[in-house]
Amino acid sequence: MKKLNVLLVDDEIKIREGFKRLFNWEEHGCEVVGEASDGMEAINQIEFLKPDIVIMDINIPIMSGLKVIELSRMKYPSMAFIIVSGYDDFAFCRQALRLQITDYILKPVNFEEFGICIDRLKVALYESGMQSEKGAEEQETRVIISITKHLQEHMEEDISLAYLAEKFHLSAQYISQLFKNEIGVNFLAYLTNLRMEKAKKLLVTTALPITEVAEQVGYSDYRVFTKVFKKVESMTPSQYRRGFMETE
Amino acid sequence: MVRMEIACFLILVFVAFIYFSAGRKNTALHKTFSALLIAMLFHLVFDAITIYTVNHLETVPTLLNDILHRFFIGTMVLVVYFFYRHISFVVEDETGTQVRFMRFANIFLVIAELGALVLPIHYSVTPLGNYSDGIHAAVIYVSMSVYLLLCVGMLVFHWRRINRKKKFVIAAALIIELCVSFVQAIVPTSLISGMGLTLMTMAFYLTLENPDILMGELVEQKLSMLYLKSQVNPHFLYNTLDTIRIQAELNQDKEVANQLMHLVNFFRLSVKVDRQMVALDDEMELLYAYMELMCYRYPKLKVSYEIDPELGEVLVPNFILQPLVENSLLHGLKNKGYQGELKVIARKYEGQLPAIEVQVIDTGSGFDKETREKIEELLLHYNEKEQKLEGDSIGVLNVQKRIKLLCGKKYGLWYTDNEDCGVTAHMLLRMTKGSGR
Repeated sequence: MKKLNVLLVDDEIKIREGFKRLFNWEEHGCEVVGEASDGMEAINQIEFLKPDIVIMDINIPIMSGLKVIELSRMKYPSMAFIIVSGYDDFAFCRQALRLQITDYILKPVNFEEFGICIDRLKVALYESGMQSEKGAEEQETRVIISITKHLQEHMEEDISLAYLAEKFHLSAQYISQLFKNEIGVNFLAYLTNLRMEKAKKLLVTTALPITEVAEQVGYSDYRVFTKVFKKVESMTPSQYRRGFMETE
Repeated sequence: MVRMEIACFLILVFVAFIYFSAGRKNTALHKTFSALLIAMLFHLVFDAITIYTVNHLETVPTLLNDILHRFFIGTMVLVVYFFYRHISFVVEDETGTQVRFMRFANIFLVIAELGALVLPIHYSVTPLGNYSDGIHAAVIYVSMSVYLLLCVGMLVFHWRRINRKKKFVIAAALIIELCVSFVQAIVPTSLISGMGLTLMTMAFYLTLENPDILMGELVEQKLSMLYLKSQVNPHFLYNTLDTIRIQAELNQDKEVANQLMHLVNFFRLSVKVDRQMVALDDEMELLYAYMELMCYRYPKLKVSYEIDPELGEVLVPNFILQPLVENSLLHGLKNKGYQGELKVIARKYEGQLPAIEVQVIDTGSGFDKETREKIEELLLHYNEKEQKLEGDSIGVLNVQKRIKLLCGKKYGLWYTDNEDCGVTAHMLLRMTKGSGR
């Protein structure tokens, strides 16, 4: 897995400083390669650096963060954006989610939990890469793809590394390494991510009770599900569902 | 003839009673009206007495008659002067400019009062009745003319810049007073000056100085202050705090950074005041942030929660828990040096109603007998209590009122004493699910 290049966009130097120094980019396979403090500078830096990930404040001078994403998106469809905003408003969120591979986090940013966000982006990048790779034959040969496909189809089951090892006749350690190398996140983070994405979809598209949603994505105890969801999304499943209902 | 003065006096006593017992802004305008009311009451007393004495010249000693007449004219000048002052304050309020001739009006008051005190008095005796005339009586005619002229001049000069309602009230009052004075001057035995002044006072009382309107203004002023307080852009507040938080973390001060994080969260959650009902989840999150901060400030505080996770989506009135917890801290645990425990419980109600039961249990100092009675009375008769803008019990009253309003009359707040120490606040809230709007 190659190192991911990161561009930081925020009009406050302290916040850029915080992102740079308070999060262990190295450990998450990333490197901060540039900074920008307004929309125009961001556009220029994106053009010049072609980063893999852009951390973007919405409320910046000259041109809003959303506009920058919209413009860059046309040229670089696979670039990942993480929107950082103090406006915890789902209207923004929904607008942001329409622009693919975009994640959304709220200020105040908890740098310790920022890794979850990066992992999620890596999974998204991996998945969009998988879709764009046309050569179906080539895909078949890659073990990681068959494993992740299997996970996507059986996430409601009780899945462990040992189970996968047996199923694919590989060592657990090898699979673990495979995840790290190919996607850049560990197995558990990948599985959790998968489950949370599915849960979010179920929450907003169905009226299933939370316990049912939890079960469908592989959590027999919905309290555990709620806890994990809260950690990843910084809100409870019911808050998430309500947030979506209200902006409609 | 005295009957009319007594009637006027009684009406004004009643008016004064209402006026003085009602709340209003403490401004020069209202102070002037208060002074006017008092002067008016004295004046009517002397008016009534002199009407009697002037018609019994042979039985009442001349000296007493003179003294009473001097007071009668003296208070009358004062009343007219206060009318002038009152109108000038209204005009100043309206136009924002200083009224001219104020110095002249003040000096004239002194001269007129001196005249009322020392000038010789002459009494005319006629078959229709007796009255005082001559140079002493001229004092009041001159004063009346001077002040009325000043008022008319002021009104005409600022006519366009005064609120429509106010200028017509003042104009009408002035016309009444002019007519009454005119009649009094032509038919001196009619003795109707007291009636004219009473009518003018009533006109002002009913319109410019109406206690309900004044109370409204007072409340509006306080509310607008509260509103202004909340107008400090919340984004500015928590963005700034967040920047400081990041700096603290950069300085490797994790402790300060964490506390600032809670503070930012608390502000972020508490600015959502536009909703009446919020999910219990949201309400609890606000409480967690608040309690984290309080426990940090007072390390001997312990807090625990027992929240049924199934109730997360239940809608509760916004900001309903924090005031109760704050009460427990500030009135119970504070007295014990912030040493003790606080427990928040939310669970399904076991009884007939579809309700959730929330308890805030503290190990504080509890209520003394007096407080307990006060609180119980307050919670029982919440409906009759005015919504005050300040005071200790505002939180509790406010919580009770909102529960009754948003959940229904069957729900509510009450307190019980704990077996060992402290009190428990119980809330019964309707089990409502759905969107928070």
